[in-house]
Amino acid sequence: MKTALIGAGQIARQHLACLQEMEGVDVRAVCDLSPAAAECAAERFGIPKWYTDYREMLALEMPEVVHVTTPPSSHFQLATAALQAGAHVFVEKPATESVEEVRAITQTALAANRALVENHNYLFNRATREILAEIESGAAGKVVHVEALICLDILGPSGFADPNLVHPALRMAGGAIADFLPHLASLAWRFVGPHRSAHTVWAKRATSALPYDEFHATVEAERGTASLGFSASAQPDAFWLRVYCERMQATTNLFETRLTFDRVLSGPKPLRPLWNGLREGRDIRRAAVGSLVRKLSGGPGPYDGLWELLRGTYSALSTHGDLPVGLRQVQEVGELVAALKPREVLQ
Amino acid sequence: MKALVTGANGFLGQHVVAALLARGHAVRALVRPATPVEGLSWPLTVEIARADLRGAVPESLFSGVDVVVHLAAAVSGGEDAQFSATVVGTERLLAAMAHSKVRRLVLASSFSVYDWSRIAGTLNEDSPLEVAPDLYERDGYAVAKSWQERITRAAAKQQGWELVVLRPGWIWGLGHGYLAGLGQQFGSVHLVFGPSTRLPLTHVENCADVFARCVDAEAAAGRTFNVVDSDDVRIWQYLGDHLRRSGEPGFRVPIPYALGYAVTKLATATSKWLFHGKGKLPGVLIPCRFEARFKPLRFPGDKARRELGWVPPHSYEACLDLTYGRPGAPSQGDAVPKLSAGAAPEFPLPASSASTEAATP
Repeated sequence: MKTALIGAGQIARQHLACLQEMEGVDVRAVCDLSPAAAECAAERFGIPKWYTDYREMLALEMPEVVHVTTPPSSHFQLATAALQAGAHVFVEKPATESVEEVRAITQTALAANRALVENHNYLFNRATREILAEIESGAAGKVVHVEALICLDILGPSGFADPNLVHPALRMAGGAIADFLPHLASLAWRFVGPHRSAHTVWAKRATSALPYDEFHATVEAERGTASLGFSASAQPDAFWLRVYCERMQATTNLFETRLTFDRVLSGPKPLRPLWNGLREGRDIRRAAVGSLVRKLSGGPGPYDGLWELLRGTYSALSTHGDLPVGLRQVQEVGELVAALKPREVLQ
Repeated sequence: MKALVTGANGFLGQHVVAALLARGHAVRALVRPATPVEGLSWPLTVEIARADLRGAVPESLFSGVDVVVHLAAAVSGGEDAQFSATVVGTERLLAAMAHSKVRRLVLASSFSVYDWSRIAGTLNEDSPLEVAPDLYERDGYAVAKSWQERITRAAAKQQGWELVVLRPGWIWGLGHGYLAGLGQQFGSVHLVFGPSTRLPLTHVENCADVFARCVDAEAAAGRTFNVVDSDDVRIWQYLGDHLRRSGEPGFRVPIPYALGYAVTKLATATSKWLFHGKGKLPGVLIPCRFEARFKPLRFPGDKARRELGWVPPHSYEACLDLTYGRPGAPSQGDAVPKLSAGAAPEFPLPASSASTEAATP
C-alpha cells in the first residue's frame, strides 16, 4: 500500500521503524514544516520523496494511507484533508482536540468510506492482550472495575514544561495531561465499555509551566467502573493498569513488561495467598529479565502496542477485514476524553 | 562591528561575548526567554535579545548587525529534542537572516561531524564527514550537528553569505573539566581507553578567541577551521591533572584502545546474533561512537594558525590555572572576565515573541 506521513518528529520515527519492517507497505513520502526534519526522515528511512506542504504531497503522491504524526492541534485539519483526498488515515492520539471535531471527522470518514484509526496503542501491548485473552476465555469472569494510572515526570524543563517555548499540548484543555487522556480513556472503554458519567479532579502540585500536573477521575461505564489518573509527581515512571474481574485480578506496568495475576484458586482458602504470591514472584522475576531483554533487543520496546496496531490496521486494510480500532471506538473514546477534560482552560 | 551571538549564555557563548567585547566589537546576545542573565557579568553595552529559535525568530533581531555568531545548539536531551533545538532552530534563524543585510555567519560546528571510522592517522579539515546511512548509527548530537552544518552551508551558498565554519575539539574550562573523551566513568573508577591517546583540546578562552577573530578576519571568509590548542596532551595526563586539580576522588584504570574497540565489536556481533541483527547497545559499546570518543589520531589544528595567524592565547598550564585556580590559591579563576559597564543599549523592541533588555552589570 502506498503510504505517506505528515509530521517527522519523535513518534513518526516509531511509525516509520515499524512500517519499514512490514511487507506490502511502500512509504512514498514524508512531510514536515521543517525541510531539514522531512529530508532527514526521508534519508534515514530510505523514503524517496519529502515535502513541506501536505496538500502538495497528497495531490502528487495520492497515498492510500496517511499517518498524521504532528502535534495535536493540527490533527483534525490534516486528517480531514487526507480523508477527503481519498486516503485511509492513521492518526496519533488525540485524534482531535474537541468532541465536536471527533464527531465531524468520523462523519467525514464515513462519508468518504475510508478508515480512520486513532492510535490506541496501549490496548495492543502484549500485557493488555494477555489480560483480554484471559477475560475472553471466560476464565476471569466479567470485568468489574479497571484502574489506569500514569506516573510520569513531565515537569522537567525540556519537554511539556519547557519554560522557553510553549509546548503545543499546553494549548489543550487539561494541558499536557490531555495528551495522555486517550490512553486512559481507550483502556477504560475497552474493559468496561462506553461511559455514562465521569467525575474528575484536576490539580496542580508542582511549580512549572503546566496548568495541571495531577488528574484523577472516576468513571461509570456500561459494563463496570473505572478509576483513571495521571501524576507528574509520583515516581518512578510507570503506567499501572489493574483489571478487577469476578475471578481474577491482573496488574501490569505498561511501560515495562511486568504482568501478574491473582486468581481465585481451588484448594484450601488459607493457602491461596501463598500460591498467588509464589506465582507473582515468578512472574515479576521473569518480567525483570524480560524488560532488560526488551531494551537490548532493538525492537519496539514500550511501543510494541503501536507496532501491533499498525500491523493489524494494514492487514485489515489489505484484506477488507475489521479494523482493530473502528470509527465507533474513536468516537466513544473521544466522548470520554471530552468528559474527562476540565471545563476551563487555564491561561 | 556588531555581532549577534546565539547561545550567548552558554559555556562557550559567555566567553565569545567577552572575547568580542575585548576586540572592540558590539554584541547583541541572544538568550532564551526564561534564561536568567543576572549572573552573567555582562556590561550594559551588551544588548540582550530574547527568543527561542525553535519558535518565531523576528527579523528585527538582525537590525544593525554585521555578523552572526551561531553557537546555539542542544548538548543534551533525546535525539529528537536535539534535532529540534539544533537543526530546526538553525533553520529558522537562517530563514530570518535571509531577510537581513547580514553577510557573514560564523558557525560553531563540531568534531562530531567527522567520519571517525574512515579517518586514520590525522584528523584535519579535509577529513571525510559522516554521511547517511552511517550517520544514523551515531548519537543524537552528531546527527544534529551534521545536519546543522549541512543546512547552514546550503543556505550560505544560496544567499551568498560569507560562511566561516569552526569545528572545536574538546572544549574545556571552569565547570567543564571532565570530558566524554576521557573514558567511561563508573563512580570513582575511570576506565581510560588508550591512555596515551592525544586529546584535541581547546580551552574555552582560546576557543572563544578564534570565534572573535573570525567575525572580521578576511582570511576566514568561506573557510572551515578545526579549533585545537594543541594535541600534545594525552588522556592519561589530562585526566590525572583534572582529578588532582579538581580534588575529585577517582582512580584511573588503563585499557588499551584496541582492546576496548574489540569489546565493542564483540558486543555488536553478539547483539546481532542474539536479536537477529536488530540488537540495541549502550552508546559506548557501539563501535562508531566508541571511535568518535576515543580513536587515537593526530589533531594538528594548524590551518587556523597558518591562515588566521592564530596563536592560542593561553598555554595548557595557564589553562589549568584558569580552570582550577592556581595551586594553593584560595579560589578558582576562569570565570568569564569581568567587564566594565557602559552605556545602555538603544535597541527597538521587536515582535512579541522576543524582547530585549539591558544586562544587569
